[in-house]
Amino acid sequence: MRPARDVAVVAFAQTDHRRRTDELSEVEMLMPVLHEVLDRTGLKTSDIGFTCSGSSDYLAGRAFSFTMALDGVGAWPPIAESHVEMDGAWALYEAWVKILTGEADTALVYSYGKSSPGEVRDVLTRQLDPYYLAPLWPDSVALAALQAQALIDAGDTDEPALAAIAASSRDSATANPHAQVRGSRPQGDYLVRPLRTGDCPPVGDGAAAVILAAGDTVRGLCERPAWIRGMDHRIEAHGLGVRDLTDSPSARLAAERAGAFERPVDTAELHAPFSSQEVVLRKALRLDDSVRVNPSGGALAANPVMAAGLIRIGEAAAAIHRGESDRVLAHATSGPCLQQNLVAVLEGEPS
Amino acid sequence: MPEVLSAPLVVEFPFTRSLGPVQSAFLTGLRERTVLGVRTSDGRTLVPPVEYDPATAEELRDLVEVAATGTVTTWAWNPSPRRGQPLERPFAWVLVRLDGADTALLHALDAPGPDAVRTGMRVRVRWAPERAGAITDIACFEPYESESAGEPSPHTGEFNAPVTGIVAPARLDYTYSPGRAQAGYIEALADHRTVGERCPVCRKVYVPPRGACPTCGVATDERVEVGPAGTVTTYCIVNIKAKNLDIEVPYVYAHIALDGADLALHGRIGGIPYDQVRMGLRVEPVWTEGGRHPDHYRPTGEPDADYDTYKELI
Repeated sequence: MRPARDVAVVAFAQTDHRRRTDELSEVEMLMPVLHEVLDRTGLKTSDIGFTCSGSSDYLAGRAFSFTMALDGVGAWPPIAESHVEMDGAWALYEAWVKILTGEADTALVYSYGKSSPGEVRDVLTRQLDPYYLAPLWPDSVALAALQAQALIDAGDTDEPALAAIAASSRDSATANPHAQVRGSRPQGDYLVRPLRTGDCPPVGDGAAAVILAAGDTVRGLCERPAWIRGMDHRIEAHGLGVRDLTDSPSARLAAERAGAFERPVDTAELHAPFSSQEVVLRKALRLDDSVRVNPSGGALAANPVMAAGLIRIGEAAAAIHRGESDRVLAHATSGPCLQQNLVAVLEGEPS
Repeated sequence: MPEVLSAPLVVEFPFTRSLGPVQSAFLTGLRERTVLGVRTSDGRTLVPPVEYDPATAEELRDLVEVAATGTVTTWAWNPSPRRGQPLERPFAWVLVRLDGADTALLHALDAPGPDAVRTGMRVRVRWAPERAGAITDIACFEPYESESAGEPSPHTGEFNAPVTGIVAPARLDYTYSPGRAQAGYIEALADHRTVGERCPVCRKVYVPPRGACPTCGVATDERVEVGPAGTVTTYCIVNIKAKNLDIEVPYVYAHIALDGADLALHGRIGGIPYDQVRMGLRVEPVWTEGGRHPDHYRPTGEPDADYDTYKELI
């Protein structure tokens, strides 16, 4: 089904993702990216119809950081604005829906994450079921490792195959000046077996921003817009022991509803923070070897939490902007073991 | 670039959570060394039990008792346990399908090493010596060879003194860095000076500075010293004594526009009876020995400021 309005990603910008940014507050880290994405289109804050952001105060332990981040937008006098305590990909979804309703013609979407002040493995335990899981403090690597072992037991992958995914991601990242880890590096020791350091994403800080525009507004903002042909997000049952961890029915359903299976895509940007999760997603999203997966290096090369999913959509759009891709699948995830999944399909017009 | 300031920051609070009927029965059961599951309408047994069917959203109340023995469905060896995790020595994270259950429960398995763990191995619950009605009443699992126990048996879920809530303490440790603008503000305070930053577009001076002008959306990069004196723009009288704060009530808490600032900051007013504080009162900071910020503000003795000079800052 075609969306009610034609909406395109017309600009994308991101920071260089780094292990630490101690010298910058969140708004100081974010602001250059907001300016860059606006400059690309020639738009000013006052031209934007709707602003939506994604972030989590728990990452840096800074209460109401998203309100301070709004200072960087120029939010006074009051703008039409919203925030999700989720990855920026979900902020983009909200902005897309807002444009589809006709209430706005343009939207600024941004997200940021500073993991360096805290221990992100511990911080992410606080998003889990507070009765049965959170009291055990199962960290994000441990939960991903349970999923990886389930995949190995099912014969879907093995440690050399996981190492190959990690190496391929970081090889691709050599062409990405924003990536935190570029080029191959040793797989290292087990962090939580069967996952080695190389199978896990780097911990770091970063931000990203995207501008959406509808219909005729797009002209003049972008030479080759990345039209959103469909977008959907779905969720698994929250009990880890209820799920088949080797599959992702929610990602598959989101892809189906986004129209991903109607025609082949040439490229996919997958938000798979752990190498083993790329195995699950390739299967669920039916990506064969003809599809270029994560030419940016993906989340294994840079994983600013809360921004890494939005960056997948941004990278997918940028590949269309540059004329390198015609039809791209962008995926974002949130929660433990790919609990929530968002899929967008973007297309460029024939050049 | 000045040295980056940083300080430890601990965010810690106990979450008090109430339990639904199924969770209450399950956690009370653990206290009594009994593991309960819940039946779905299609005959599956969910352990740990939930209040609503994850597939159909149907309300679930049909409790059954399952065994304390089970089978590992997946595992992950944790060589470096982190704070709060079930065991302090290396252990395996496991999902365990207890005998009689159709779903698996997450916990720790106490095993000598990764070579002693495999998917499909048989385990049993090791109960915590002291149990209070929480998931941690299961200390962990331990390897235990046994035949799979049979079908689950019906259970009323009724116990004496049921647990109706849990207190889940949460603690996260951070190393806080204030960023460029706030670091400049804090460094100046160490010299008993107050600095703000000026917006290059609208020329407003923000105190304390946060690095960006909320009107123009640009970096405020010109540092400006303000004060030390200022004007009370508005105030309130505090009549409730704050915990851990050694200040006699009533006292006045005020918005103070320091001279040269375009944004009021707040502070306590002292050195004047509380009922004589007024809008327009001219005040100056009072520093105490070793204080990192003004302890309070006191009257300068100057004539009150004219309303028109501060009305934009209220």
